[in-house]
Amino acid sequence: MNDASLHLNLLQDDERFSSSPIRLRVMVPLLAVLGVVGLGVWWFLLSAHIGHVTHEKTTLETYCAELKPAHDQVLALRAREKEARAAFSQLDFYRAARIRFGDALAHLPQHVPASIQLTELRVPTPPPLPPQDPALKVKPLGPTNLAEAVTMRIAGRVSSSTASEAVRSLLEALRQPVFSNLICKAEIPKGTFRQDAARGPAVREHILFEISCGCSERRFE
Amino acid sequence: MSRVSLSSSFSKPFKACSDVTGLELGAGLSEGVPAVRLRKSKGRVEVVAADFLDLPCVLPMSPEESEAQTWRLPAPFRAPCAALAIRSPQASLCHSAGGHGEETADRAVAYRSVSRQTAPEMPPLVASLPDFQAAWAVRLLPEGRRPTACSLQITAAAAMGGFAASSALARAGGYAVALFVFAESTSLAAFQEGRLVFYREHAVGMDHLRSAISSEVGIELELADSALENTLFDPVPIIEPVLRPLYRQVEISADYLLRRCKRQVEHFFVNGLTIGDELWGELFKRVMNRTMTFCSPFDGIGRAGQAVRLPEDVEKRAPLLMTALGAARTVLEDA
Repeated sequence: MNDASLHLNLLQDDERFSSSPIRLRVMVPLLAVLGVVGLGVWWFLLSAHIGHVTHEKTTLETYCAELKPAHDQVLALRAREKEARAAFSQLDFYRAARIRFGDALAHLPQHVPASIQLTELRVPTPPPLPPQDPALKVKPLGPTNLAEAVTMRIAGRVSSSTASEAVRSLLEALRQPVFSNLICKAEIPKGTFRQDAARGPAVREHILFEISCGCSERRFE
Repeated sequence: MSRVSLSSSFSKPFKACSDVTGLELGAGLSEGVPAVRLRKSKGRVEVVAADFLDLPCVLPMSPEESEAQTWRLPAPFRAPCAALAIRSPQASLCHSAGGHGEETADRAVAYRSVSRQTAPEMPPLVASLPDFQAAWAVRLLPEGRRPTACSLQITAAAAMGGFAASSALARAGGYAVALFVFAESTSLAAFQEGRLVFYREHAVGMDHLRSAISSEVGIELELADSALENTLFDPVPIIEPVLRPLYRQVEISADYLLRRCKRQVEHFFVNGLTIGDELWGELFKRVMNRTMTFCSPFDGIGRAGQAVRLPEDVEKRAPLLMTALGAARTVLEDA
């Protein structure tokens, strides 16, 4: 302050006001109070929201616990239903894959020469499936391959001197169209056309033979 | 920040005023409330606006009359701060050896006082004002709206403060006796090296001159001013009995300065005289054999480039703005 100044100011400190519309001495405490109140409201709302969510969670958990037996029952029923459907489906596959031997074999006596006596007619069991993967969770109900090779073995004996012709005649007959629905190929494996040495010299004219037939494969579709 | 400094920063929003509107309250002028807005920029004071504002201003004379009213100043006068100069018959400004407070203890109403040691070996200058009048004046300019009061001064002190900062006193080398003519009284101040060393009031003002002319010539008071300018008769014999005691006080003050600082006073200034300059000077020359210098409060004050409100006859009516301008300038110089 200037010593020579004649500023004799009669204004008191509490009468000094700011001309700014934003009054710091009002705004700062007001903002502080509003901030605290806002924080409190926010905290209250947050607490209420958390309480509401917790209550809702508890309610849902209780509801889920009440529903769990029924849900488990539904799941079990669904699993059983799925299992049954799979079994039905598998049975349908087997039904579709069935090979009818009867019709073809009914024609067989007409083509068997009189000198031939069939001693065996067998459809061998298909080779066993590879062992199942223990890591599989769902065990297959049936074979997992879609096709299965089918063979038929015919064995017999022929007693005439024209055994070769008789067997050849049978072999040719098996290749005729009347068997083509069942038999795709027919052949005499090596070493299977031989004398019947086991029964003694009296029946040395008897010849044993085998015919291996490759049938249409079974398709599980 | 400490608690003290924080509270003080809230309670003292005015660090330094560089843009102030001076207002004179209680002047009772028909023109309105004198208002001058000054701005200090780069050490230079310039006037931004000056006018007489049409505002309700009836000074309360008792606490019961203090009605709460607020002012909204025109846009050119909306400086951040306002310096209020209050003219009140209950206000006082004097040198008091006992300091302020002793004289006001026995008064019926509460007074507020402030003192300033203006010169060594001199009693401090004490200004006092009824508390209710000060509170009324401050409430005119409410918080949150430009301007708000940053200073409340007695008119005589405001006028002296403006003159003390004027270029006229500086040109005089700081040694001068100055008269401040008001309606009811005339203040007399002696300056030494720019500092006030002596102040007193003389109970003769412009209204006494007008009254003397009115009664002597037989005209109404309102016509007295025109009679002072009229050359049909010589008013000096009428005003001489009124002014001679005042000039005697001036002579005493000059002698006091001569004894105090061994220096003859060469400069005598008159402020606030609206009319009759030549008569005052002629009579002064006759009585004191000295020349009187008549000052305009706007002397040495530049005009702001964007001065938006300066009446055309501001020079003619400038003496009436002396107090308002002095209040604003005192604040600017004290910042």
